[in-house]
Amino acid sequence: MIQPLEILPGVRLRCVQTDRFKSSCLSINLLRPLRKEEAAKNALLSNVLMQGTSLHPDMQSLSLAMDELYGTSMGPMCRKNGEIQTVGFYMSCLDDRYALPGDRVLERAIGLLTELMLNPLLIDGCFCPEYVAIEQDNLINTIESTINDKRTYANSRMLKAMCRDDAFGVERLGTVADVEAITPQSLYAHYRSILATSQVEIFYAGSQSRQTIAELLTSALSTLPRGALTPLSYSAMPSHEGVQELEETMELTQSKLSMGFTTGITSRDPEYPALMVFNALYGGDMTSKLFMNVREKLSLCYYAGSATSASKGILIVSSGIDRENYQKTVDEILHQLKLCQDGQITEEELSAAKKAMISSLLALQDSLGSMEDFSAFQVLSGFPLDPEDYRKTVEAVDIPQVVAVAKQVKPDTIFFLKGVTNE
Amino acid sequence: MNKLTYPHLNETLYTHRLANGLTIAVIPKPGFVKKSAYFATDYGSIHMDYTLNGQHYTTPAGVAHYLEHKMFDLPGRDVMEEFAALGASPNAFTTYDMTAYYFSCTENFMACLELLLTFVSTPYFTQESVEKERGIIAQEIRMYEDSADSKVYEDLFAAMYRNHPVRIPIAGTVESIEDISAQTLMDCYNAFYHPGNMILCVVGDVEPETVVELAERILPKEAQDKPVADLGTEEDLDCRDCDTSRVMDVAMPTFQMGFKCHPMADGDRGEIQQIIGDLAAEALMGESSSLYQRLYQAGLIDGSFACGFEDVPGLAMLSCGGDSRDPEAVRQAILEEAGRLCQEGIDEGLFLRLKKSALGRRYRALDSFDSLCFRVCATHFDGANYFDFPKHYESVTKSQVEDFLRTAIVREHCAMSIIWPRQEEEN
Repeated sequence: MIQPLEILPGVRLRCVQTDRFKSSCLSINLLRPLRKEEAAKNALLSNVLMQGTSLHPDMQSLSLAMDELYGTSMGPMCRKNGEIQTVGFYMSCLDDRYALPGDRVLERAIGLLTELMLNPLLIDGCFCPEYVAIEQDNLINTIESTINDKRTYANSRMLKAMCRDDAFGVERLGTVADVEAITPQSLYAHYRSILATSQVEIFYAGSQSRQTIAELLTSALSTLPRGALTPLSYSAMPSHEGVQELEETMELTQSKLSMGFTTGITSRDPEYPALMVFNALYGGDMTSKLFMNVREKLSLCYYAGSATSASKGILIVSSGIDRENYQKTVDEILHQLKLCQDGQITEEELSAAKKAMISSLLALQDSLGSMEDFSAFQVLSGFPLDPEDYRKTVEAVDIPQVVAVAKQVKPDTIFFLKGVTNE
Repeated sequence: MNKLTYPHLNETLYTHRLANGLTIAVIPKPGFVKKSAYFATDYGSIHMDYTLNGQHYTTPAGVAHYLEHKMFDLPGRDVMEEFAALGASPNAFTTYDMTAYYFSCTENFMACLELLLTFVSTPYFTQESVEKERGIIAQEIRMYEDSADSKVYEDLFAAMYRNHPVRIPIAGTVESIEDISAQTLMDCYNAFYHPGNMILCVVGDVEPETVVELAERILPKEAQDKPVADLGTEEDLDCRDCDTSRVMDVAMPTFQMGFKCHPMADGDRGEIQQIIGDLAAEALMGESSSLYQRLYQAGLIDGSFACGFEDVPGLAMLSCGGDSRDPEAVRQAILEEAGRLCQEGIDEGLFLRLKKSALGRRYRALDSFDSLCFRVCATHFDGANYFDFPKHYESVTKSQVEDFLRTAIVREHCAMSIIWPRQEEEN
């Protein structure tokens, strides 16, 4: 595990020093409890901050400053992980070794990034009302546009129904009504409050040493207000009695099926690596039982796969099908689960699933984005292992362990987005 | 092997041409665990009509993509399972002008590479297996039909071009794939999957010679004539239709517009034209332009807006698109701003910054094995070497970009495709 360094109260820095890349990356995340009162404000905040600072008052001047820094990219980042929502930025810039001699890209990029975070353009002591209004419109459009990707839409409808009485049911970006209710004043007050009360997690990967980065950040964040930190919590999704089935119709040629399962196992539990091996062999990749049977053998669909929401212990199976194949597909997905529970797993299936996971854990160190993502996963999901120990644990997973976790997988909610054609 | 070093990029490129005509490119990445290989053919959805050895072939839409699906079959073997046993997962994609098969792995690289070369060089199509795939591909086509992001592009290309096969979706249609048989696949395979029409690109910590030796051992030894694709009669720059639209279940209207340009030259000239086109798009409507700022502040575009220069053999266009409540207003603003830029010229400082920015981004993109493999393959099929990009950027002048804008941004050469949201039904 990369040891975090507390550079300011409640501000922790994790660094990976490597000279293998032409880029370096840095992310800053404010950790917030996921709750309806603030989800929309958190989602809106970084977008408003990206509009302008006191020194670069509009997007064009910010963009020109990034061009000058060899096309540095900075973007807002809002994650939802278990019952935590993050507000922050991701930055990727050219590593200093590839810039013109004497040009210090990283130092200036960190300066610009912290300027975005701490020195927004203020008008009469508050956010610029035009900027807030524009980003409110954009965020509402983004929320409404979740309908464009039908697979994501079906999964989010399923999750909402499944988590009807759990904090995890709160949408990552809030709801349209929540966004509409925000004013420049309420957003600014929220901004000042979360700057002071949020645990801050910073990740850097690149050629510079931890000490250099810590010094740069300590100085750049010297005006960050600090107060008592808002507590965060973690919990597994409890299972319900029976299976909830929901259906919605839409004008579509391909229908979408989304099934949610509770597992009772989260990223904080010792069984988690076995659950991930189960996920890989059940529906995680192109040699999984779902892919090989639902798609390849029975030709029921174009895609069928599973994924987990690690921090909550939820497993999601999604598939794109012809509507008349609904029952057949649901039955086959449950049948394949039953086979796993009955121990019908071959050594080849186990080995392929483990190898795929091991390979991606090994390859993690070859991508800055993957390293950042894994670090965020550790912090936000309370996952205790570093990639190397995780890999060793996966290598040791055997069939009885996979069968044991499969037995804990229980169908909870089935959502069907039924395609109709009005000819 | 031919060895080229690029000290500024800290990269080395090894190339070799086998007797059968295959180009091999290896980019060693010392210190990285991951290794990637792309085996690609200069064959995509637009290559429907072609001539080989004096015989002319006309094939249904969607063959290249169908073939991509069926190449994974080997007699008596399961390619996916064999890759899985080696800890790798292969994949493939078909574009308008390329089909590529690839994998990444962290161990067993040579065994994976052997498997990749073997399955792509072994055509095995039975009528039964071809029949079974039809349902899967039809589902895939339906998925694209429901996707506004795909449709908005397909509609644009169909509006812009009268003859060019880019008019037809990459995967074809549910109807067109009905006419694809095992024989169709075999004919196209024989024409386009010959090593002389292909490139093998490897990125990772590997010995370049071992890649060459393996390819020499696995692939056919003989050279063969290349097919000549017929992309239809060359078109003038006027669009077939200036406007096309449809209604789908989307929240916001989404649009793509294209300004039809002359097809590009092969080789370095084409690469330079590509850079000029990209810089022109950035100067006119990129994030650092005053037009972008104005449109964003007016709520006419949002973060989804993107612009650039695109080219496929036989066509090229300056394009842009994204979500907008009033796409026509965006088009008007672009035409007006282009008029102003052509008269007043691009600001010298802005031009230099845009170059610096684009070059920095290209450097950073070299960190991604996938992006690098794809670029090396695509540039090879265009008759150039990807790693020459810094030199090309250096050579591009402000007046070249201004000249390009002057000829490209013309109302009559512009088509726009819009997807409108379905209106709520009145009660």
